[in-house]
Amino acid sequence: MADRHSPASRLFPLMLVITAALLAGQALWFYLMGEYARILLPSVLSPVLLVAALMALARHHPSRLAPYLALACGYLLIAVELPRQAGVPLLWIGLPPVLAALLLPLGPAILLNLVLTPIWLALLGDDLLSRHSLAGYLTLVTLAALVPWEHLRQRALLRATDPRDDECPALTRDSLLEQLSGELERARLLDTPLAVLMLHLPQFDMIDEQFGTSARRTMLETLTRGVHAHRREHDVLGRVDESSFWLLLPNTSESAALLLRQQLNQSLSQVMLIETGPLQARTRLGLPRPSETADEFRQRLENATRSLAHG
Amino acid sequence: MQSKYKVRLLQINLLIAALLTAWQALYARHGVDAVILWLATLWLGVTASQAAAPYRRPVTLPWQLLPGLLLAALLWTSPQRHLAWLWAWAVLIMLPQPRWMILLNALLATVTWASLLELIGFEQWALSGILLALLMLLGLSRSQELRTLKRGIRYRARLLPTLPLWPAAQLHRDLEQERRRINEERSHGELMLIRARRFGSWGLAGNLCRQLRPFERCYRLDRLTLGLILISPDAQSAALRRQAVLRQLPERLAVRVVALDRLGSLDDECRRLKQASRATDGSEVHAHG
Repeated sequence: MADRHSPASRLFPLMLVITAALLAGQALWFYLMGEYARILLPSVLSPVLLVAALMALARHHPSRLAPYLALACGYLLIAVELPRQAGVPLLWIGLPPVLAALLLPLGPAILLNLVLTPIWLALLGDDLLSRHSLAGYLTLVTLAALVPWEHLRQRALLRATDPRDDECPALTRDSLLEQLSGELERARLLDTPLAVLMLHLPQFDMIDEQFGTSARRTMLETLTRGVHAHRREHDVLGRVDESSFWLLLPNTSESAALLLRQQLNQSLSQVMLIETGPLQARTRLGLPRPSETADEFRQRLENATRSLAHG
Repeated sequence: MQSKYKVRLLQINLLIAALLTAWQALYARHGVDAVILWLATLWLGVTASQAAAPYRRPVTLPWQLLPGLLLAALLWTSPQRHLAWLWAWAVLIMLPQPRWMILLNALLATVTWASLLELIGFEQWALSGILLALLMLLGLSRSQELRTLKRGIRYRARLLPTLPLWPAAQLHRDLEQERRRINEERSHGELMLIRARRFGSWGLAGNLCRQLRPFERCYRLDRLTLGLILISPDAQSAALRRQAVLRQLPERLAVRVVALDRLGSLDDECRRLKQASRATDGSEVHAHG
């Protein structure tokens, strides 16, 4: 999730188009002012940005190239602007690090900014101010990197606190294991039975390899929807690994759990997937032994799930 | 645990930034300039020391306001020296922040940009204005991604990583479910509401979470009110469990305990708890059932 740092899908191409229009305007302005030497760059970069906008618009394969293309255009413009004595080089030296921080993921942005430092300062070409400009430039580079760091930190925090799997409405492994030890202790305290139904999707790896992410998501969603239709409100469904799920059934006797397993098998086998036909799911029941600790029970369930996966 | 939330690298980055601003402060020409840069150094240093707390609670507002104000002050007092910093607005606006603060930062950016007209001449001024506006929009769109992600999980995520502390919305769901469940199990469940002292609620919540049994949960209903759902086999052991939790609480806190099967509206219970805490300001336990 953290590496998917592409700018928001619609706004970004729009802004590329606006910038292209601005550049075309600038070229026209130079023509009217008679500064023919400066026309070339904006009139070349304007169509390049339009191409980048089209690339960013491609919905299914949002190109990583578009931000880099935009960045390269920006760099060229700044590189031409910096050595001009009539201009304000001190203003434009601040633009490259910010541009990189906005367009690229954190790592490439920092790297590029640091590597390009001598080039920008050489283009700036002033001996008097060089120490000051170096400090200013480096400060801007580090400050610009802070915000993406904060984003990464918040994302990581969100992921750590979210109990739900990011692909389907089931608990994550950590939350599931936590619930399992909770339910076991509760069952012991209240002297009620506990059952765990293990489910494994044997077609999962094949679907993932051959048909890609969307087919794999459909499969997961079909399974979770099927399970949710049969479970009670306090039965907990969680994903233990890529292709295996556990359904915790508190206060459920073995016979009731077997009945549920049978119903679930029946209804899942009637589900058809476009790619592979009927949905295959292997199921197995696990019950805690009287003297078992939560850890031992979990270990036993994991072994059983593994043997379920191996057929 | 810290590396999991990318804290260590963030801290290093903050410290490097602090060193660089300090370096600049040493070479500042005017007193005001130096003061602003030292303040920035201080801000970065303190933020670095605080970054380790994995809390999702918002940083206090004045603290978040400072970077924008400092940047504006820097551009305002010595624009010719810190011209390059104008572009920092585009990154600043990318920080996760409340809506009004985005507006305030945009306003400050506009004002500082507008004041540059005389310094840099009309052509450059207009060009930089348009570019800055575009970049700020881009920055906003980047922060929007995080905002939507946050909005999606706000009602279901726990409040602190690894601790069973949940938001109020979760309590509403769990109450319904537990009521049905204890009927089925013939067990005894009760809701304990605790009103924490000002500034003490996060610490108290942490302490409570560590005493909970693995199937019990703690909820944060608002800034000061915490809730626990305690499950026991019968009323007798429920009383023992309640006493055990109460013994661990600091003294003089208002507490209210209601059996789940007698619980009417949660809002009413919270109001009564608030009244009780105001009226007595002492350790009062109102147990029902």
